Amino acid sequence: MHLSADTDNQSNEPRVWAIGGGKGGVGKSVICTALAMSLARQGERCVVIDADLGGANLHTFLGMPNPRHTLSDLFRKKVDGLEDILLPTPYENLSLVSGTRAMLDMANLSYQQKMKMIRQIFALPADHIFLDLGAGSSYNVLDFFIAANDGLLVIMPTPTSIENAYHFLRAVYFRKLRKVMKRLGVDELVNSSLNEKVRGGIRTPQDLMADLKQRDPGVGNAIALEMEQFSPCLIVNQAQRNENSELADEIAMACRDFFGIEVKVSGVVRADERVLISLNSRRPVLDMFPNSPFAEDVQRIVRKMTPDTEAEHERRSTAAQL
Amino acid sequence: MNEEALQRSYKRFGLTPDASLREVELAFHKLRKLYSDNSLATYSLLEDGDLPDRLNSLQAAYDMILQSRLYSQPASDQAFPERRQEDRRDQDSRIVVVDADPQQKPGLFLKQMREARNMSIHNVAERTKIGPHQLQCIEAQDFTALPAPVYLRGFLKEFCRAVKVQDPDQLVEAFMMLYSEAT
Ligand SMILES: Nc1ncnc2c1ncn2[C@@H]1O[C@H](COP(=O)(O)OP(=O)(O)OP(=O)(O)O)[C@@H](O)[C@H]1O
Ligand SMILES: [Mg+2]
Repeated sequence: MHLSADTDNQSNEPRVWAIGGGKGGVGKSVICTALAMSLARQGERCVVIDADLGGANLHTFLGMPNPRHTLSDLFRKKVDGLEDILLPTPYENLSLVSGTRAMLDMANLSYQQKMKMIRQIFALPADHIFLDLGAGSSYNVLDFFIAANDGLLVIMPTPTSIENAYHFLRAVYFRKLRKVMKRLGVDELVNSSLNEKVRGGIRTPQDLMADLKQRDPGVGNAIALEMEQFSPCLIVNQAQRNENSELADEIAMACRDFFGIEVKVSGVVRADERVLISLNSRRPVLDMFPNSPFAEDVQRIVRKMTPDTEAEHERRSTAAQL
Repeated sequence: MNEEALQRSYKRFGLTPDASLREVELAFHKLRKLYSDNSLATYSLLEDGDLPDRLNSLQAAYDMILQSRLYSQPASDQAFPERRQEDRRDQDSRIVVVDADPQQKPGLFLKQMREARNMSIHNVAERTKIGPHQLQCIEAQDFTALPAPVYLRGFLKEFCRAVKVQDPDQLVEAFMMLYSEAT
């Protein structure tokens, strides 16, 4: 399984992005679609996977009818692999794995099935894969978020969204911690530490890390090193231009101090009425309003997160001109 | 001082040990404000009554960083005890006379004392563990870039000791007076 985020994609393996964020309705699916569209339009082969348990609806964002093949077929073994249920979309370089009828199947997904699916995701013939995770902090959501190269946290500038995001972050952190422990064969250490901490009312990863290092410096340091790799990205969506310009940085600061988690700020996406218009027209915003503030902000995020792709395109377009 | 705790303090501010004091100050105040203002980013992190503890722990992290810069021995002193003796010898107790008035221009006075003893800013920085930039601000009496009074006082004493000012207390008081007038 891929626990490390190797973003310099030397291999032919796709870069896997997971989009989560705790709260429902903040814009995960909209952003997920837009990120994929943006890279697809640059000529990158992209796949969006609808991994939302309760409300799979990515096909609608892409203006597609109810898909014939979904993740259900995979889990019920009607097909051999993920690749068999890849659907073309109306857009070049963009494919979809739909989850429409997979609600129950996803909810009952066994750990083995999940790990198998993750392996298959990394084996898909694509440059970028986007997992739309849906709301909540269930183990399914957490495990996909951890497995991805880039974990993107989408929030809105509201107290409830931010509160949920912190809850989500903490949940991912502890889930990942348990995995690291298991791999190092020291689950016991953390269990005792965690249990005492919970009873003692200490709540942050930072406190736990300090405690672990004290109990067993060698193991504690090894764990800390691995956990330092955990660095999710943050997108503030539906921002009001003036009021929310510093919110993302402030959240990153608070996460660093309070949880000891380094959150990278990917960017801010403005609230834009065209998002709703395009949703109602069942066309992606980037297709319908490629120059809208929303599209601009998403493209800025993509540029920031894929500097190499950007450079590569410049190289190609200069070469074409010559 | 616990090296690891110090590292952790820097990390909380998103800084590394080579950060300037100014950067430490800025990060500290920003974070403090973020918690105190009950802002969107922090309000759900703290439960009722948690704020004072949080602020105290921030203050402790900040103090730890400042103290590490104030009181730590220059590394060379510990590593080469014989050089320390040499140091003593070349830290001559010569009485030097400079023309700046320590009451009116304590910063300039320190600068001239330093130069009279053939020391560079860097020498003083090494000896006192105060950042070169801070030292320059002291010499220039650039009050905007200096730390809070309690630390500034400590810095001044260290500076005086490094360049062997005869009556350090008098100079420190004069400097602090100018500082409080200016800020
Ligand atoms: N930047 C934006 N400006 C204006 N409206 C937006 C923006 N982003 C999202 N929305 C609106 O928010 C609503 C929810 O978006 P979306 O379905 O992407 O959320 P979600 O996080 O995927 O929700 P769920 O958790 O239910 O899957 C949509 O109606 C969309 O129009
Ligand atoms: Mg959604």
